[in-house]
Amino acid sequence: MRYRYIGVISGKGTNGGLFADALRGLAFDATDRLYAVGDSKLVVFSPQGKLLRSRRTERPGHSVAVAADGTVYVGQPGQVQLFDPDGKLLDTWRDAGRLGLVTAIGFVDDYVLLADAKDRCIRRYDQGGKFLNEIGNDNRMRGFLIPNKHLDFVVDPQGVIHACNPGKHRIERYTSAGKLLGHWGRFDGRDPAGFSGCCNPTNITLNRQGHVVVAVKAGPRAKVYSADGKLLAVMGEDDLDPLCKNTDVAVDSRGRIYVIDTARLHICVFAPDITTQPAEPNADETVKP
Amino acid sequence: MKDKPTRREVLGHAVRGATLVGLGGLGFYLIRKANGEGVWQIDCEKCVNSRLGAVGVEVCDYCATSCVLGLSAVRAVNDYSICGRCYICPAYFDIKSAVNEEGLPSQKLCPRDAIDRKPIGWVDPDDPANNYYEYAIDENLCNGCGKCVMACKEPAGLNSIRLVVRYDLCLDCNRCTIAIACPDEAYERKPLSEDEGVG
Repeated sequence: MRYRYIGVISGKGTNGGLFADALRGLAFDATDRLYAVGDSKLVVFSPQGKLLRSRRTERPGHSVAVAADGTVYVGQPGQVQLFDPDGKLLDTWRDAGRLGLVTAIGFVDDYVLLADAKDRCIRRYDQGGKFLNEIGNDNRMRGFLIPNKHLDFVVDPQGVIHACNPGKHRIERYTSAGKLLGHWGRFDGRDPAGFSGCCNPTNITLNRQGHVVVAVKAGPRAKVYSADGKLLAVMGEDDLDPLCKNTDVAVDSRGRIYVIDTARLHICVFAPDITTQPAEPNADETVKP
Repeated sequence: MKDKPTRREVLGHAVRGATLVGLGGLGFYLIRKANGEGVWQIDCEKCVNSRLGAVGVEVCDYCATSCVLGLSAVRAVNDYSICGRCYICPAYFDIKSAVNEEGLPSQKLCPRDAIDRKPIGWVDPDDPANNYYEYAIDENLCNGCGKCVMACKEPAGLNSIRLVVRYDLCLDCNRCTIAIACPDEAYERKPLSEDEGVG
């Protein structure tokens, strides 16, 4: 299984679709529109990568997610801003004690999950912004081990939370009630199937086949694993700036993988190379371009 | 008429005079160090081992190999306020070495084994990944080779380790051989007031 680099979206600059200082979070909506946050703005791109609109956020955006009803959530230091699909501000959830630095957002049933990198845990809220419970800190370390101060997770269609625990070099699975279901991953500085360095992986998402897509730092790249942790593909080794870290990843409905280059402030796009797709056992993974 | 001074008085005057001259010289030396020519220091933003952005380059070990002292006056120091206390520290372990049966890199990075690793706080006896670790640099062993500094640099690490000149060891040569060898002009004289507080 291979992916090929097909280009970039956005870049460094001050115009509407560009980012001047930081590009941090990515997400797709149901129609494959790409949402990117950084600096203090939210930018929306068409499925073809064309700029649709850009608007300011109150504080620098560190994460973004789009709910099933089209509401766009932007995680920021100390708060989350909610926008309607047209970019109109709907609400701002402020909770300095529980929303120290929101670096990931997800949804399970009717609830909103927010990762607080400051407190090293994930928190569940109802749709009105009422806090319900914490996830990932009922352990001896009192939270995830994130030396890079970045916590990322993704929710699968069954409502299971897959969270990066980079200090332990593994992916952990939780229920939304906070129960640890299991984990996979191991340190290895030589074998690409392992996670190298002090603390990897840093970012995570899922594709439609249920494969886990992660991003790692030093050297930066994205990797695709089966749900049980078998390495399937590696990409970006020659395309991402060596200084990248905490590089968010997203996958569109075509199976294309989008990886933020946090140094060059653009989004690298990788497409499945259908000529290298294995006939089996993963024949169902073939994605039409 | 005053009596001729005794030998004891002459010697006493001489000792007091020498002491005053010595104290004056020391004061002048300290004042010069503090305000004048300063002391030899390493600019971390110039040193290739700690300079952000310089990744994928060779470690520079001139601080270890160029000093006139047998064991260089330069040491690596770990700033605990920045250190992540990681289970697998890239400055402690050679993270490219084979993984051993404990799931850790099998080799250490420091060629002089100058870094000590120990769990701190509450220690989990069953799962060592559940602990925080203190990485202390033994200054009797460290020679300032810079390997750990480079390994701890972002984005691989958190930049908590850097090289400093130990004033109590430095001979304060006018023509410092490290400064002459340093390819980045990172080794320079600065007033003590510009010291970053670790040396």
